[in-house]
Amino acid sequence: MNSSLHTILTPLLMFWLSGSALPEGNQQDSSAYFAAVYFNRGSTAVGTLGDIGLFRKREGDTLWINLRPNTITPGVAFAKYGGASLLYLAGGNGLHRSADRGKSWKVLTGWQTNEILSVALHPTSSSILYISTPFGVFKSTDGGEHWGNKMRGFKSWYIRQVKIDLDVPESIYAIDEETLYRSVNGGEKWSALNVGVQGVKCFLQHPVDHDILLVGTEDHGIRISLDRGKRWRAAQGLPSSPVYALRSSQDGKQIYAAGYQTGVWKSEDRGRSWTNLWLATGIDAIYSLFVHPNNPDHIIVGTNGKGMFESLDRGATWRQAGLPFAHVKQIELYPN
Amino acid sequence: MKKIVFICTMCLSFAVSSNGQSPFEQRRLQLLEVASVERERGFQTVTAKLLAGRDREYALTMLDSLTSDEAIGGMFYSYSLIGCYLHTRVVLPDSLRKKVRSAYRNRTMYRGDTENHWVTYYTGLYLAAQTWPHQDGTEWFNGKSSSENFQESTEWLNHWIRMSARIGQGEFDSPTYISVFITPMLVLYDFAQDPQMKRKAQMMLDLLFADFAVEHLKGNYAGGHSRDYPEDIVNPLAAPSTFWAWLYFGEPEFAPWSEARFRPRHRGAWEPLFGAVSSYRLPDIIYRIATDRTKPYVQTKTKRVRNIIRFGAEKNPPVFKYTYMTRHYALGSLQGGILQPIQQHTWDVTYASGKPYNTLFTLHPFFSGKELAMFFPEEQKFLSDEVDRYHKVYTNPNKWNSSSPYEQTFQHKNALIVLYNIEQGAIHPHIDGFFPKNLEQRVVDKSGWIFCKAGDTYMAFFPLKPYEWIEEEINWRWRSHELKNGAVVEIGSSTADVSFDRFRKKVSASIPLFKNFEENLTVQYTTRMGDRMKFTFGGERVLNGKHVDFARYRFFDGPYLQSEYKSGIITMLYKGSKRVLDFNEVSITE
Repeated sequence: MNSSLHTILTPLLMFWLSGSALPEGNQQDSSAYFAAVYFNRGSTAVGTLGDIGLFRKREGDTLWINLRPNTITPGVAFAKYGGASLLYLAGGNGLHRSADRGKSWKVLTGWQTNEILSVALHPTSSSILYISTPFGVFKSTDGGEHWGNKMRGFKSWYIRQVKIDLDVPESIYAIDEETLYRSVNGGEKWSALNVGVQGVKCFLQHPVDHDILLVGTEDHGIRISLDRGKRWRAAQGLPSSPVYALRSSQDGKQIYAAGYQTGVWKSEDRGRSWTNLWLATGIDAIYSLFVHPNNPDHIIVGTNGKGMFESLDRGATWRQAGLPFAHVKQIELYPN
Repeated sequence: MKKIVFICTMCLSFAVSSNGQSPFEQRRLQLLEVASVERERGFQTVTAKLLAGRDREYALTMLDSLTSDEAIGGMFYSYSLIGCYLHTRVVLPDSLRKKVRSAYRNRTMYRGDTENHWVTYYTGLYLAAQTWPHQDGTEWFNGKSSSENFQESTEWLNHWIRMSARIGQGEFDSPTYISVFITPMLVLYDFAQDPQMKRKAQMMLDLLFADFAVEHLKGNYAGGHSRDYPEDIVNPLAAPSTFWAWLYFGEPEFAPWSEARFRPRHRGAWEPLFGAVSSYRLPDIIYRIATDRTKPYVQTKTKRVRNIIRFGAEKNPPVFKYTYMTRHYALGSLQGGILQPIQQHTWDVTYASGKPYNTLFTLHPFFSGKELAMFFPEEQKFLSDEVDRYHKVYTNPNKWNSSSPYEQTFQHKNALIVLYNIEQGAIHPHIDGFFPKNLEQRVVDKSGWIFCKAGDTYMAFFPLKPYEWIEEEINWRWRSHELKNGAVVEIGSSTADVSFDRFRKKVSASIPLFKNFEENLTVQYTTRMGDRMKFTFGGERVLNGKHVDFARYRFFDGPYLQSEYKSGIITMLYKGSKRVLDFNEVSITE
């Protein structure tokens, strides 16, 4: 697997090292990509652990490196608080935190939480953390020492994703695969937002116009709200296929969507209408999307069992980008 | 010097014990002997070799390889490694002790997602944290200190024991997975320094063995099962539980490793070795319960559904089991529906036999992403493929293990009604029955009954709808393609019915009533003993005019094993003897 990766990644790295596409700041900042990966649940259970967990590829490296711990890993998150850079891994063994960029980890959760499906980090306080799990949302206000279950208002206990509002950190969003919920008091009480359909799979708040909320759904494409969740309508152009991932460029000018047998779709009007960007033939599903924050031409998708693919020309052409058998649940770029 | 004394002591005890000890002592020493010459890599074989004083260098090389190989790890590794280490550390060189220690620092002990995963994970972590106390988080794979790991493991083990003793296991009565509940509890019993935890491990072992004992028939784990593999379902003595039955109950009489049916699938699986070297001894009352089949009896149990994460109103709804035990056969059932994903075995008759494939049952081969999504957090659309990759047969129309929302049962003693109401458009719209080819007789009677004879066991099977026979290597596959469907089953024996002909005559005199079945999904049947059963799919179970209420099921109810639901008090009874496990007081009284 690694030798083929080398072949695939070398041209990309050569391109990067030439500095032709990336702005100055990025070259000085030796950032690293992180891919959250899990494989077949059965194989992890019997103890073959080499191919799951968090993978990292630094700029300048040629390979994705499997960072310990090896555990089913649905998500990764990073934040800087003062001088401290903290990396979090949402995994089968719990929520992990690393203060040394993945060299060592500490599991912050105990036996009361099962697999961690997502983590949301407070923008200014390292004390406040939210996690979503198959048995609810949990919140810590002491940096992960203690956790409280925050489920008042939910109709089911499986919570797929939790996110913090971009303006108001006390405002939290969560999805339970039926609908989108919001808490305006840091998770103490939740209310369902009536998105108009059921089967909500993913959520995005527009990075520039924070009033725009988007949800990807199982059978109804994408729903959009222009008034922060009061009213919702169907976005135009998409088929009714399941949408599992939504991602925006940093400036919000391009938003991408993908899911089950959808290929990759793009919107250039903040999510109102969509056009197909890539059919992704032979890829049954895409779990995750990434847009380079400094180079919106560079897009990466994480697939269900076929690793990552990337485009360096804003979706015109695509190629394999590593971990060719991986189920890639999240892709991020974090500064060193 | 210490090492020499240890080896001499072990060899001496081996030699002395093999001279005229109890049958259990003989079996455990036989197992130690056999496992000690095993060449395949495994923690149990390392343990056997070192404790038997055989192949020491080879055993050390094996352990070195197991602790060096970073491609393996996880929950099974964790508890097996610490078990092996604690049994053998006196004879290990310092270099290997350090390697064992570093295994808990350098590799992830993945916690997994099932009940047996968590039991093995937390048992391993508990004993490792106890073994290497006062170490900070940098010394552990999860960054937690010894005391944090010890506390977390203690809490979860207490939680699991409390739940198992009150509302039952989710992975209950599994002929395969019983191994990975018994073995960690044996290791915990042998090495927990806290007397409370040691006592709890002992009580859990008593409970696991008693739970097995009341459904034990000559080495077979009878009754419905939460989880099992198809190879074991069609050939019950091939299951790992047989090995435990042999060691602790003395049945079957053959040694499992010498049996062709056992060996291929479980090669290298020597978990019972930890039983052979344990100080735990099965209470005599459990042995008696497991082996005395002089009188037929009914045993009911309440268990729980595995943790439901989606599409449920309750996290762990109850499972109701009913098993009728005789000296010749056992007829057992779960109430039906989805109680466990993938590997459920809802009902069967298992009979004592010298031949393999000693069972008969039906199922609907159901699969769906939604079923899996009830229990696994991944994307519903891919789960069937994911599971198929590991369990191989999950989506197969011919599989022999399955839960199905379209299947329900009603059992009374040696009679059972199983009904199917398969949805239009279901992926596999048929039901299958397993009829072993080595039955002495399989006769289709003009009355509609199919009669089968296997030694002293007589089986009657009345299909409600047309069917076909498909010949396969070891069995006849009875298949019916009707969506609204079912069968009535009644079992007899040479003891109860004198002869097969007489059994046939008595049973064929009673034809199930199922008029307008397409509309009412109702069957009525009067057993040859005169009991009137009436069952409606999705509706009532009525016995002799009275509604059968599962809500009144006790935790255990039978002549040998009794407990009130959620009481935490388990009572074993055998003739004049009594043993009470009180999980509230953590006490055992006799």
